[in-house]
Amino acid sequence: MSAAATGVAASPVVYNEAVVRKFVIATMFWAIVAFLVGVVIATELCWPNVSFGLSFLNFGRLRPVHTSAAIFAFGGNALFATSLYVVQRTCRARLFGGDALANFLFWGYNFFIVMAALSYVLGYSRSQEYAEPEWHVTAFLVIVWVLYALVFVGTLLKRQEPHIYVANWFYLAFILTVAVLVLGNNAEVPVSFYQAKSYSLYSGVQSAMIQWWYGHNAVGFFLTAAFLGMMYYFIPKQANRPIYSYRLSIVHFWTLIFLYMWAGPHHLHWTSLPDWTQTLGMAFSVMLWMPSWGGMINGLMTLSGAWDKLRTDPALRFSVTAVGFYGMSTFEGPVMSVREVNALSHYTDWTIGHVHSGALGWVAFVSFGAIYYLVPNLWKRSGVYSTKLIAWHYWIATLGIVLYITSMWVAGIMQGLMWRAYDQFGFLQYSFIESVAAVHPYYVIRLAGGLLFLTGGLLMVYNLIMTVRSSSTEQVTAAVPSGIAVAEA
Amino acid sequence: MVIRHEWIERNAILMLVLVLITISIGGIVEVVPLFTIETTVEHVQGVRPYSPLELAGRDIYVREGCYLCHSQQIRALKDEVERYGHYSLAAESMYDHPFQWGSKRIGPDLSRVGGKYSSEWQYAHLANPQALVPQSLMPRFAFLAGTPLRTDDIQAKMRTLRTVGVPYTDDQIAHAKDDLLAQADPGTDATAFGKRWPKAVIVPGNVAGPTEMDAVVAYLQVLGTMVNFANVTTEQLRQ
Amino acid sequence: MSDVVVGLLVTVLGLVGLFMASGARDDEIYIFGLSLAGFAVLFVFGLIRGHFDRLDAARLDAARRGEP
Repeated sequence: MSAAATGVAASPVVYNEAVVRKFVIATMFWAIVAFLVGVVIATELCWPNVSFGLSFLNFGRLRPVHTSAAIFAFGGNALFATSLYVVQRTCRARLFGGDALANFLFWGYNFFIVMAALSYVLGYSRSQEYAEPEWHVTAFLVIVWVLYALVFVGTLLKRQEPHIYVANWFYLAFILTVAVLVLGNNAEVPVSFYQAKSYSLYSGVQSAMIQWWYGHNAVGFFLTAAFLGMMYYFIPKQANRPIYSYRLSIVHFWTLIFLYMWAGPHHLHWTSLPDWTQTLGMAFSVMLWMPSWGGMINGLMTLSGAWDKLRTDPALRFSVTAVGFYGMSTFEGPVMSVREVNALSHYTDWTIGHVHSGALGWVAFVSFGAIYYLVPNLWKRSGVYSTKLIAWHYWIATLGIVLYITSMWVAGIMQGLMWRAYDQFGFLQYSFIESVAAVHPYYVIRLAGGLLFLTGGLLMVYNLIMTVRSSSTEQVTAAVPSGIAVAEA
Repeated sequence: MVIRHEWIERNAILMLVLVLITISIGGIVEVVPLFTIETTVEHVQGVRPYSPLELAGRDIYVREGCYLCHSQQIRALKDEVERYGHYSLAAESMYDHPFQWGSKRIGPDLSRVGGKYSSEWQYAHLANPQALVPQSLMPRFAFLAGTPLRTDDIQAKMRTLRTVGVPYTDDQIAHAKDDLLAQADPGTDATAFGKRWPKAVIVPGNVAGPTEMDAVVAYLQVLGTMVNFANVTTEQLRQ
Repeated sequence: MSDVVVGLLVTVLGLVGLFMASGARDDEIYIFGLSLAGFAVLFVFGLIRGHFDRLDAARLDAARRGEP
């Protein structure tokens, strides 16, 4: 019989906030690394000589450093931080497994990240996108991930709150599905226990399908479902409003996690993947638009009655704008999944533009919103050091995103059209290198967008360091600052 | 019987099981038939596993991230076929563990780059792409020419590939080291080598021994050359 | 209890790392193996230190409250 049901005040729980603080710090550290490496490789695509012909500075070795840093280091630490914070508070239970296990999750996960990045730079890679780490590094990740699942599910099982809050459905689905995806896509045989080289169990067309079953769902679960979990906690908290619709959350949760798993083939349109698979992938990708927008609607409509908070709370502005970008990306995605559209967009920079509207606009922004909320909370400060700096961050970063995605739309569509252009004699009009030269100005604009986004990130780091250290943010009374969860009866 | 979501929300294990079932369906439906439908990989002649030097070169291509800028998959689209050659067949990448189809073209597609340029051009281009193509964004790979090729693990690699389904014969594995050296030495008698590895291209090589650059060029020069499309029927192409 | 279980797991990982490094046939396995062993040493050290820090803190607390 739960304490809440008997009407007795719930037993006070001391949450493990130390590990959440560690993950928040790591999130911001890796955010800067990810943005910085992004700027470096964007520069290489404008002026290739900046790598000086050095093997470890090659675009081919640095790009996985950027994608891993953005997805697994920045995104992953943000998810660890928020999932472990949210699961404790919504279950009114301290993390399962004790402090030692929680600390192993932190140090172990970040050890994995450092080892992965180092391995790419040294010239070891599986050549599968977002699954580049070789067998030995992945094996270590699997150990950390199994323990993460144990801690999360264990905390759910020891909960005092009878219902599992919606944010935890999304976090749970993310943790379980990532485990299935990583294990499925990393079936490989090492050449030797003593060599960092392995060969995938799969080859050719089967390997392509399994890679994009994995790859699209790395996006769908790691970058989408999990961050929806974040949204479902932090937006109602910051807006001080309940989630718009319980029923909508149920419908879109199950539909989303079901449909996403079919979308992989839209990465392989017009290739030697059989037609039937491509058609399935396209159909399900288009259907996926619905539950995605269900999530967007639920997030945005939670603000109803509290829209004025967007003027006064720049952190909330990040979270809500994130949901807007989420809606945009989850409309663009299904459009690009249509075979006729994909015939133009595949292999072009339009795909890159799409990725970054999601990664910067949705993933990064919803994380920024959550972290601006979390830092004063976790370090017991009265608020963020400078609200004005948050606003500056918001506008600089948004401008950066706009420059990034518009330049990539133009570059991508230009490439697609140039590659298929015929002259009046019926010959292909452009050589490939002409399309490369044509997009150079847009690559420079993209670099500018990335620099702005990095600048915004640096402003945030400064603001957060000052929040933690400045005497101006010390709490004057013992009263709990507004918005912080207190054990609710 | 109406299932109430409340039951799922009150039972973490039930939620866990239902999530696992829900997320497994899509993958099973899309992946399993690719292994069971026989015609997924077209029954064409000519595709063979990579020779030892080509394999070494492919492993370098994989580790350097070449797939990030170069695709190896010509789509069944008119302009693409005209620019690069016959659209890619699943059979042509059947021994690629894993596939190298790529998802971005910062540089051109390489599916049929084999034989398109001379080996000398390939060496020069890899060492300094801008010298041959001034507006190229490709980084310089001159360091490959200065790195001796590691040969002590070539047999282990071929055996591992055999474990995952690549039909290397005992004869091919036994002669791996000799074949690797032969393919990087134009002066050698290549009859036995040629029998084991049809259509393999002998690369100019190096007096001090094969370098990583030799391996990469050998790999590039075989790409797209294995299948003779003159002999392929529409029946064979149907998946 | 958590300390002991996690400490044992990490120790095993550290030993695995040493084995990998000892037979390493390329730079990456060598570096990874050593790093894993180093990580294990540091992490277990942290567990032991944390344990004794908590013991000391508890003893100080008891002394402050006047207990023997």
